[in-house]
This record gives sequence, C-alpha cells and structure tokens, in this order.
Amino acid sequence: NIDPESLLPKLPDPAELRPFPDHRSVEYVGHKGRVRTIAIDPTGDYLASGGDDGTVRIWELSTGHLKQKVRLSTTDPVNIVAWRPVISPPILAACCADNVHFIVPTDSTSPTAQAEAHTLLTAGFSAAPTIPTKSATGVDKPSPSSWHTPIPAHASQSISLTLSLRSTPKTLTWHRRGTYFATVCPSSGSPSTAIAIHALPTHTSQHPFKRLKGLPQTALFHPSQPKFFLATRQRVRIYDLQAGKLVRELLPGARWISSLSLHPGGNNLLIGSYDRKLLWHDLELAPTPYKTLRYHTRAIRDVAFHPTLQLFADASDDGSVQIFHGKVVEDGFENATIVPLKVLKGHRVRGELGVLGVVWHPREARCVSAGADGVVRMWA
Amino acid sequence: MSGVNGSAQVKIQLQTKNPELQLPQEIGPILVRTGLKRLELSRLVNNLLEATQPVPLQFLINGQFLRTTIDDFLTQNGISAETTLTVEYVKALIPPQTIASYEHDDWVSSVDILSSPQQSRILSGSFDGLIRVWGMSSDLLATGTGHSSAVKSAKFISPTQVVSSSGDRTLRLWKYEDTDIGTASLTPTLELYGHNASVDSVAVHAPSSRMLSSSADHTVGIWSTRKSDAPAAQEELIPVSNKRRKITPTAKPTATRGPLSLMSGHASQVAEVCFDETDATIAYSVSWDHTLKTWDLATSKCVDTRTTPQSLWSVCHLPEKSLVAAGTALKHITLIDPRVSAQTVSAMTLRGHTNAIVSIARDPKSSHQILSGSYDGTCRIWDLRSVRNDASEKIGEEVFRIERDAVRQARKLGTRFEGGVKVFGVAWDAEVGIVSGAEDKKVQIDSQA
Ligand SMILES: [Mg+2]
Repeated sequence: NIDPESLLPKLPDPAELRPFPDHRSVEYVGHKGRVRTIAIDPTGDYLASGGDDGTVRIWELSTGHLKQKVRLSTTDPVNIVAWRPVISPPILAACCADNVHFIVPTDSTSPTAQAEAHTLLTAGFSAAPTIPTKSATGVDKPSPSSWHTPIPAHASQSISLTLSLRSTPKTLTWHRRGTYFATVCPSSGSPSTAIAIHALPTHTSQHPFKRLKGLPQTALFHPSQPKFFLATRQRVRIYDLQAGKLVRELLPGARWISSLSLHPGGNNLLIGSYDRKLLWHDLELAPTPYKTLRYHTRAIRDVAFHPTLQLFADASDDGSVQIFHGKVVEDGFENATIVPLKVLKGHRVRGELGVLGVVWHPREARCVSAGADGVVRMWA
Repeated sequence: MSGVNGSAQVKIQLQTKNPELQLPQEIGPILVRTGLKRLELSRLVNNLLEATQPVPLQFLINGQFLRTTIDDFLTQNGISAETTLTVEYVKALIPPQTIASYEHDDWVSSVDILSSPQQSRILSGSFDGLIRVWGMSSDLLATGTGHSSAVKSAKFISPTQVVSSSGDRTLRLWKYEDTDIGTASLTPTLELYGHNASVDSVAVHAPSSRMLSSSADHTVGIWSTRKSDAPAAQEELIPVSNKRRKITPTAKPTATRGPLSLMSGHASQVAEVCFDETDATIAYSVSWDHTLKTWDLATSKCVDTRTTPQSLWSVCHLPEKSLVAAGTALKHITLIDPRVSAQTVSAMTLRGHTNAIVSIARDPKSSHQILSGSYDGTCRIWDLRSVRNDASEKIGEEVFRIERDAVRQARKLGTRFEGGVKVFGVAWDAEVGIVSGAEDKKVQIDSQA
C-alpha cells in the first residue's frame, strides 16, 4: 500500500525561498487620483509612473524623491509608461490619449547621453518618407500613425518626439533591442488596426495582422525569437513575425484577458484575467494552462515575471499583490514549480479598483505596485 | 544554584573602570540572590558607594549587559552558579532628548558636524540641491548653491573646506569661512567630474588629502582635496554651460578636475563607501549587489569581497571591534569581520528597525556603541554588548530609539503625523550629540547631556 500523498512532489517551504518581498519599503507620494502605470528603468535607479492626473513622474527608486514631472494632459489619463529596454541613452515612452510621447530623463543623465537620446528619437525625421500603400480602389490608405515634433508645451518638458495614433493605446511593449515597439488600442474601430508595430529609427508604423478574430487586449515580443504574442479577450495567438504567420493558439479558458508576462526563458507565459484567474502556460505542453491559480477575489489587473529571479507577482482589484515562487527548469523533463509566498496588503480599493500595476526591480527581490488609491509603493 | 523560589545565591566580584564609581573600600566577592535584576543590583552598588545622589548603573558579565535576572543570564550563557562571577558596573546611559530642529525647504539627505568646544557647526545636504552650514542655535550661516540635482552627501574636510556629492554626477569642493559678524560663506572652488550617475556618498581623510565617492554608476572614486594634485576632468563629462558660463560677465567659471582613480568591481549601485579608521590606504564599500568590498587604495584594487543575502545601503568601520557595520536594504544591520582570517560573514546582527538602514555612525565616546538612521523614521543607538544568542546568530537589540520630533508631538496630541519620516543621514559628535536629517525636511539634534 502506497500513501498517494507520498507520490506528490514536495513543495519547498516558503521560508527557504527567501528573499522575496514581504514588507513595505519606499512610497512615491504625489499623484492625484489613480496611478495606472509604473515602470522601472533598466539600470534599476529610476521609477516612472503615470495616472489620472495626466502627469508622468520619474522618481529616484531608492529614496522616493521626485526627479522630474512631465504634464502630458489636463484632461486625459496617462495609461502607459514604458522604458526603452536599453541602458543608455535613457528614453521613456508614455501614452496619453491617442499619443505616444518620448521623454528624455534629465536628472543624472549626462549632457552627452541626453544629446544621444534626442538624436536617436529624431533621426527618423530625415529618413526617406514612406510611400503610402494604395488600396484596391486606388485611394490612399489612411496612415496608421503620424510621427511629429512635440508641441512647444511638451518640447519644453524634454519630450523629443510624439507619435499620434488613430485610437488610444492601452499597451506599449518594446522589443528587447529597443528598435521596435508595439501598441495595442483595444477601442480601435477594427481589430486589425488595433495593433501596430513601430520602427523607431525610421518613424514607420504598420498594422501587421490583417484578418484578426476577437478584440486585441495586450501583446508582447519574445525576448530572443522573432515571435509576437497577441492576446484577444479569450485567446493568445503566437505569430512568427519573419514568416508572417500564426504559429500557435493558446486556450487559457479565461473570459477576459487583462495582462501577459513571458518568462525570461521564453517558454512559459503568465496570463492574468479580469475573471480572477491567473493562468500559467507551458508553451511546450498543451494549448490549455499548465496551472490555473485562483487566489484573488476580484479581477487581476497585471502580472509580472521577475526578469532574473524565480519569482512572479500579480496585482488585483481586491487590493492585494501576490508574490509567488516560480521555478522553471529549461530543457528538462521537470515541470515548473509554483509556490505562493506572500499576499502584500495595504492598497485601498477605490471605486471597485485596487492595484492596477506591478513591476519588478531588474535584479533585486523587490517590486513596486501602483494603486487606484493614488499610492505607489515599493515592497522589499 | 538556580532555586525554584529564587532564593539561590551566587558569588559576585564587583568591578568598575570608572574612577568616579570606585567603591570607598575594597570588598571581596559578595553573595547575592540569583533572582536579582539590574535595578536591584544598581541599588545595592549605590548603597556600597554611599552615594547621596543615586547613579543609575548597568552591569556587564563576560562583556554582555545583564538584561534579565542573574539566574536567567547564567542559564542562557551556560555559566555555572558555582563560580565567582566578575560583574562590571558602568553608568547607565541617559536617554537622548531632542534639543533642536533646523527647518529646510526639501528633504535632508545628509548631515555632518564640525566639532569645537567654542562654536560647533552643522553641515546639511538637501534634495533641493543646496548645502547649508548652521550654528548651534538654529541660525543658518551659509548656503552653497551650484549642484543641479539633489545633494546626496556633504562633509567637512577641515574647518575651512567642505565637499558635497550630488545626483548631478559631480562632487564639489567649497571654501568655508566664518565672519566676525556671525555669518559665514560657502564659495565653490572645484567641480569634480568622473562619475556617470548619481554620486551617493563621499568620505574624507583630511591628513592624506584623499576623498572617496560611491556612485550609482557601480564605481568607487578616489579624489584629491587639492586642486594641484587632481588630474584634468574628461572633457565630454563637463556640461557646455560650465565651459562658457554667462551668469554675469565677471563670474569666473569654477575650475574642473577629475578623479585620481575610478575603481570597478561592484555589479550594481555602490550605496556608500568609508575609509578604514586606522589605515587610510584601505576602504570599505557596500552595494546593491549584496557585497562588502575591501579596497587597497594604493593599487586601486579590490582585495576582498564578502557576499551577504541582501542589498547593503550603508557602511561604517568599527576599528576597536575589527568589524564593519553594514546596513541592509531590508531591516537589519550586519556586523562583518572584514579580516581575511574571519570564518563567518556575519559576526552579529542588529535587529529592530522596520525598514532599510541608510546611515551609520560611531559613538564618539565609546567603542561599543553605534547609531543608525532608517527609512522607518527612527535613529537607534546600539550597544554591541547588549546581545542575546539566538539558535543560529548573535542578535543585538537597540538601547535607545529616537523618533522624529513631529511624530512625538503628534502622539502627544493624540493624532498621527501624516508626512514622510525616512531618515537619510546621521552624525554623532561628543560636543553636539546626535544629528539626523530626514524626509520631514528637518535636521534634528538629540543630546544625552
Ligand atoms: Mg547614504
């Protein structure tokens, strides 16, 4: 007689999985209203945030001191901040209304690096103008975007470039090298124009997916292969960008996907959903989830793998951030080990909304969360 | 012998190193109940002293403070009650009291003290980019303007020279002068370029004219305090505005210089650096990369690396103990024996803070005590003799906790202080006392006098 319990793999004790964030550290105080988006720069020195007050703020991560405040709008929220994933020169993309603004941080940035950033952002103005593609009827297709010099009020706030789309982007995701980035505008008229891929050096934009089923929600690039992950409300499709074709479709079983995070190894995908489920997909296994985690009582807004440590986190409208151990054994027969480690509480739920974003430090076991309560907080 | 009813007795031999506290006549070992605690022992010794004013006393057995009954102390430390215990008594410490607060326009990042029996000076660095020199009656004597980002650290090099480091990637030297009419001046004399990110700490060794800096660019810099010794700055690091300054036609641009050396080795931001207190050719640096590094400044080489489980945000050398105190980005202070012969990384852990420790200073009067400043809004005094042995480590506990004055005042009124209270810098001086700068935009002075 074998005890069936003895056949189950033994999960490690959370105490043995330290370090992981378990207490409050620095707070970043100043936003009025909801903070919708946060991002830590690739050096780990600075935190950017944006929210309903129409401002982007750049903070010193370790002290919580405000370094730069950029007002993008007096009426529209800042929906996305995303650092270009290259250490130098530093560049921050910020989405507000239908526009993407490219900000050059000034604090502690050498004059040389600031000049390099400006050159990198504006080089595309002198690139050869793209010939508009003719549609079957011979009418010029409306361009998906326009790249232009920022208005004076923005230029004076160290914005070097503005990209105007035809709808409001809710996702901006960079390719690892910082040459390309993708935007997703879920409220776009047709699914195929909701998603655009942009080339920064040439200031060009295209809608690569012609016939798309379902409403696009969010997207990301594979870190090392020419693959693109696109989530509609209920599916995640993986495209090969070089071959220009769909290579895989995942069926997470969620009713409405909110967020994606790809493991740095590239073979495991986390999917957060408004219907409270967190889904772990092993891309080498079935198109259905390897694990379904139901730990939240409200919608999951964001999910994030740690870029270097065996940790992941999610953020929910129930006001909590949850920290998990997630161990992936690459090229092995072993499946991923998932251990819930800590529920981080402290954000207050405001108008049904809780924690809207969570990001990790590039190297350390510390994360930052952004709340609808206006609070931005580091956990250590 | 430990008795159930506490009536057991133990032989103790009382001793003191303090001449003021010598017993009027030599007494041999005396028998006391093992149930006694500090207060009862203090009363007993005060009786023997025939003191008119009782002196509060603390007791040390085997270099550790008695914090429990003698019986519990013997049990915890595995000491037999049959032996004669040597018990050293010392004056109990007086709790620090806040005596002054100096108001700033922005958060205070660092503090330093120029100690003098006549007229001490306090130097503060602020996130508003200014350095300030204060007299002892909260009188602002001089302001130094020039940094284009937050001042992260500022130190007196001598009674007439000051150095500051900033988020603007530079260090600056200033001439400091007191005038007869009760004011003073801070004049910029040199701008030091070399770092490529925020310069988060500076350390000074005046006798050798050397300074050390630590930066978010992952390097430790060695600099000279003398313009004539310093090499030229790398041209591309100097902003164009400095090369042709147009504020006033007569204003001469401040001279620029570069580092003697920039030492690489850390894999992340270097939070703080300090000189070895007995050998100024040695330095210790701590980093977000979890390590304490020992540097040989003569060769600009890292000679030793100690890796801990967490990011280290502050460092202080304790020469008498042969230890380096390193404050972590979590909640504790690790005492590290940096000597190559040391077997373990951590010799002792000081626990009690509830957030990162970003500044540590030595007690100017005792080799046993240190002061720490933390993001939890408190400064704490630790006595390395106040320890308990846990299963796996020696744990030190705080002797005193200093809160921000505004927090204390709010509590008195039955409310809560809502502002930020992170402490960023501490300094400790025999004349002035404990000085701390914090997010409450204040320099606070606490005294044990
Ligand atoms: Mg510091």
